[in-house]
Amino acid sequence: MAMEVSRSDSSQPNFAAPSGGGARSSWRVARSVWFALFMRETISRTMADRMGWFWMIFEPLAIIGVMVSVRGLFMSGRHIAGADYVAWMVVGLMGFMLFRENMMRSIGAIEANRGLFAYRQVKPVDPVLVRCFLEGMLKSLIFILFITIGSLLKFELMPDYPFGAMMDWLSLWALGWGMGLTLSVLGDLVPEIGKVTRILNLPLLLLSGVIFPVLYVPHQYREYLLMNPIVHGLESMRMNFFSGYHTIDGIDMTYLWFWALALISLGLILHTRFRDQLKAH
Amino acid sequence: MIEIRNLYKRYHNHHDSPWVLKDINLTIPSGVSVGLLGRNGAGKSTLLRLIGGMDSPDRGDIVRNSRVSWPIGLAGGFQGSMTGRQNVKFVARIHGAEEEIERVVREVEAFAEIGNAFDEPVKTYSSGMRSRLAFGLSLAFDFDVYLSDEATAVGDRAFKAKAKEAFKARVGKASLIMVSHGEGVLREFCEAGIVLEKGRAQWFDDIEEAIGVYHQATDGKKVEPPKVPTSLSEAKQQLMQANLEFEQARLDYQIASDDPARNDPDDALRWRVEESRERMHEARRYVQQFQSQAKAKPRKRTTKTTKKTGRP
Repeated sequence: MAMEVSRSDSSQPNFAAPSGGGARSSWRVARSVWFALFMRETISRTMADRMGWFWMIFEPLAIIGVMVSVRGLFMSGRHIAGADYVAWMVVGLMGFMLFRENMMRSIGAIEANRGLFAYRQVKPVDPVLVRCFLEGMLKSLIFILFITIGSLLKFELMPDYPFGAMMDWLSLWALGWGMGLTLSVLGDLVPEIGKVTRILNLPLLLLSGVIFPVLYVPHQYREYLLMNPIVHGLESMRMNFFSGYHTIDGIDMTYLWFWALALISLGLILHTRFRDQLKAH
Repeated sequence: MIEIRNLYKRYHNHHDSPWVLKDINLTIPSGVSVGLLGRNGAGKSTLLRLIGGMDSPDRGDIVRNSRVSWPIGLAGGFQGSMTGRQNVKFVARIHGAEEEIERVVREVEAFAEIGNAFDEPVKTYSSGMRSRLAFGLSLAFDFDVYLSDEATAVGDRAFKAKAKEAFKARVGKASLIMVSHGEGVLREFCEAGIVLEKGRAQWFDDIEEAIGVYHQATDGKKVEPPKVPTSLSEAKQQLMQANLEFEQARLDYQIASDDPARNDPDDALRWRVEESRERMHEARRYVQQFQSQAKAKPRKRTTKTTKKTGRP
C-alpha cells in the first residue's frame, strides 16, 4: 500500500524493538497504531457510554421489532415464498445495517480523531479502517448471538448454506468498508456530502429490498433496482439462508465485488491524495 | 541530527497563499538545543510542526535521524470520555511500547500528580490537570529531541518549575527545539538560535546573537542580555528603567496607531510594547523576590529568639 511508505520515518521512539536502536518498520508502526486505535475505539464504544453493550444488542432488536410489526399491520397475509418472513427480515436488516454502520461510522471517524494526528504515526486512514473493522466484528458477534439464541428458542435462523452466507456477509462488509473509506474523505472535505448521505439512508433501505421483497417490483423497473449492489448482497444472503427462497433473476455477487473493490481502491487513493488536507483541516 | 532541505510551506487561504516558509536550509546537530525566534506569524510554530511531522511541506524535505517528540504538553490527543490512564496507554501503544506500558503509566501517574483523577474521564479535568498529564506523557518516552511550543505549554508556577527540573535532568541525553517569546526561557535552555524573518531562516551558534539579531530586525534596538540584580536597590533601579522603557514604547505605539497614514505591516512597535512589558514584569518579579527575602529573614530571627527564651 502506497500510504504505508510515508510511515517509515526513522523517528520513532524505540521500545519494543528487541534489536535496539534503528527505527521500527512501517508495517510495525502501522500495526501498533491499529492495535492502539482498536483498543481505544472498543473501550469508547462499549464501556464509555452508559449501557453501551445493552444498546448495541437492543438497538437492532428494536428496529427488527418495529419493522416486523409495521409489516404485520399493513401487509398481513402476504407471504415470502420459501422463508419465514421474520427470519427473512432479520437477515435483510442485519445485512443492511452492517453496510450502513460501516458507511456512517466512517464519515465521523476522521473528525472524531483529529486530535490524534498530532502523533505523526497516525494517518487519517487509520481510524476509518479500525472503525470499519470494529463495526464488522461487533455486528458479526451480534448476528451470531441472534442466530444462537434463535436456534435455542426453536426459531429457525440457522443458514442452510453457512459458507455461502458467510461469504455474502463478508461481501457486504467489504462494500460498507469501501463506501466508508470513500465517503470519509469526501464527507470531511465537503461536509454537505455527509448530510446528504444521512438523508439518503431511508430511501436506500427501501430500495435495497430490506422490508419489501424485490419480487413485488414490476418487471420493467427491476433492471434499475439491480443497479444497487446492496440488493445483490442481501438477496444472495437470503438465498443462502433459506434453501427454498426464490428471488428475481440477475443476482450476481461479481457485480457487488466490482463495486466493493472499486470503492475500496477509490477510497484508498483519495486518502493518499488528500492526506494533508484531512490532517490540517 | 535533523536536516531541512529546500523546505517550502504555505497554507491555502481564500485570497492568496503566500509562502510562510521559503527555501529553508538548516542542519540542527544532535545534542544542541535550539530556540526559534521570530514575531507572530513568522512561521515558528509551522516550522516546529513540520519538524515534528504533524504537517508536511509543500516542497523539500526533512530528514530526521533521531527520535523526535510531538510538541510537549499537547493535550489535543486526549479522548474526553476515556480516563487519563486509558489515554496514556493509548499513546504508549502508538509508540510501540506495548511491553513497557506499565512503566510508562507509572511514570506519568507519578509526574502528573493528579491523584485519583488519573482514573476519571479526561473531560472532567481542568486545563491545568490536562497539561500536567500531557507533560508527564511527553517525558515518559525517551526522545532524542523534544519539541516545545509556548502556546501549548501551560501550567502553574510550581508545575513549570518541576517541568524545568525534569528537563535539566535530561540535558546531555536529549535536546530541545523551542518556540518562545520569553527570552529568559530561551537563554536558560538553548545554546543555538534560529531567527525566522519573512519566510527565511538564519542559524546562529549562540542564542545571545540570535536574540540580538531578532531585536535588530524587529525594532532596530540593541538589547543587552539582562543582568540578574544582586540587591534590592539594584532590582528597584532595573524596575524603574523597565517601567520607563515600557511607557516610552507604549507612547510610541499610541502615537503611531493614531496616525492614519501609518504603514507598518510588521507591527514592530506593538511587539516592542509587548517585549518591554515582559521585561517590566520580570524586573517586578525580582523586586518582589528581594522584598520577600527581606521579610522572611527577620521572622526567622524571631523564632530563634523565642526558642532560646523558652529553653531555660
